[in-house]
Amino acid sequence: MIEFQNLKKVYNSGGQQVAALNGIDLTINRGEIFGVIGFSGAGKSSLIRCVNWLEQPTSGRVIVDGYDLTALSAKEIREVKRNIGMVFQHFNLLNSKTVFANVAMPLFLAKVPKEEIKKRVGELLEFVGLSDKANNYPDQLSGGQKQRIGIARALATQPSILLCDEATSALDPQTTSSILDLLKKINREYNITILIITHEMAVIREICDRVAVIEAGKIIEEGTVFDVFSSPKTETARNFVSSVMNDQIPDSIKEIVEKNAGLQKIFRINFIGNSAGQPLLSQLAKKFDIHVNVLFGNITELQGTPFGNLIVEFQGAESEINRALMFISQEKVTVKEVKAHAS
Amino acid sequence: MLVNSDQIIEALIETIQMVAFSLLFSAVLGLPLGILLVVTRKGHLLENLPVFNVINGIINIFRSVPFIILMVAIIPVTRLIVGTSIGTAAAVVPLVFYAGPYIARLIENSLLEVDPGVLEAAQAMGATPAQIIFKFLIPEALSSLVLAFTIATIGLVGASAMAGAVGGGGLGDLAITYGYQRFDTMVMIITVGILVVMVQGLQTFGNILSKRIRRR
Repeated sequence: MIEFQNLKKVYNSGGQQVAALNGIDLTINRGEIFGVIGFSGAGKSSLIRCVNWLEQPTSGRVIVDGYDLTALSAKEIREVKRNIGMVFQHFNLLNSKTVFANVAMPLFLAKVPKEEIKKRVGELLEFVGLSDKANNYPDQLSGGQKQRIGIARALATQPSILLCDEATSALDPQTTSSILDLLKKINREYNITILIITHEMAVIREICDRVAVIEAGKIIEEGTVFDVFSSPKTETARNFVSSVMNDQIPDSIKEIVEKNAGLQKIFRINFIGNSAGQPLLSQLAKKFDIHVNVLFGNITELQGTPFGNLIVEFQGAESEINRALMFISQEKVTVKEVKAHAS
Repeated sequence: MLVNSDQIIEALIETIQMVAFSLLFSAVLGLPLGILLVVTRKGHLLENLPVFNVINGIINIFRSVPFIILMVAIIPVTRLIVGTSIGTAAAVVPLVFYAGPYIARLIENSLLEVDPGVLEAAQAMGATPAQIIFKFLIPEALSSLVLAFTIATIGLVGASAMAGAVGGGGLGDLAITYGYQRFDTMVMIITVGILVVMVQGLQTFGNILSKRIRRR
């Protein structure tokens, strides 16, 4: 478990005080995959680096598995760090050492006996699927392979927490998804708490249970991935969500709406969960004297739950349309009228 | 020719001795200074600006005095350490004062090339500062350090020839006394030829070793 309490970090850059973290309160529960998303400079990097003391906060507390880091000595913090693995954007492997030696490093530092190191590293390389690369050097590996080694190294001391600092940002989409699968597997098999910071909403959608949006050093939105994706509350969160959800109304349809402003009734319907499997639209057409015209739509899967987004036009008498809307509102869907100049 | 082959071989051995001993002592002096220059700087492992500034300043002072002047200027120190200011052993003292700070700078350069991300990973693993220096920083810079020492050794070969001019012995001494002052062109050609071969050999050896380390 990781707990941030009113965490602040102020940098002194050229005589100017710059607040990277501006009072963060956040709890990451044991065994969950938690994502922090934000634009560059939002403070997400400072936040994750406070967890393993690569950066010291200016004020506030960081509590890791019950230990208040602000109250520990340098030596005690080094002990706590053995319980926290970290995966980096640029892998940060030792180029002068073999894959085996890289993965063995944390165990070596912890003075684990040689035989045990050999066994453990063998297991780890097997786990990340690179047993055959033990004697290679990092510069003989691809980016994805290097990150797997980085992950194996981070897991060497059997930590309870894994920190991922933009772990997939330097990788292509296919490699990204294989690394994310690996992280999911780690979370499932070892019940390791994973804290991910990223600027890629796709990463959050893929593997996170909960997400926090950080902006200007503050958490501006926090919730389950499903809640934040299906109903983002802040502008920034909406931007991030639309970067992967494609829920924007296409321009050509906006044009139609604008041209016929006032003549048409256009609605956005969001289906959540099981309701996405119901033939809602055909029910509407049958029950009420209206025609339903689908202008745009898609269905995305969020944490295994389908989430649908439809833009439809209802044609018919106003009273019928209102009755239809009443009917919809009883279902587990949300409905919103789309007006001209709106999205 | 005014010298025989025995004298040339003796001079060669003196040069090798001067270079070897001064390299050893200046490495002992320069290595820790170079490491300190890196880890005490702002934002680094053991940030300590007073220590950094003092070391940095002292190194600059020694580096700014031309070797020929340094050699004469520290004669009292040489007498104190070796007991005399003449001879091969006495030449080692100014050579160390010359090469030590030089090596410190070269090592500083090599160590600064190491990817800071690697050191960050080490810190994240809970490595102590000593472990970070000896298990991460130096191994990562090793190939570049070998090249740095190659440069330093070649610099010492040149400086040792200069030390010969003030009674240090070695190939430089031979070249000055016989080749220059007594117009024996053959001695000049032979001594310079030997120095050229030495430098070529050292550089080639350094290059090969560095490459081996980089790509085992």
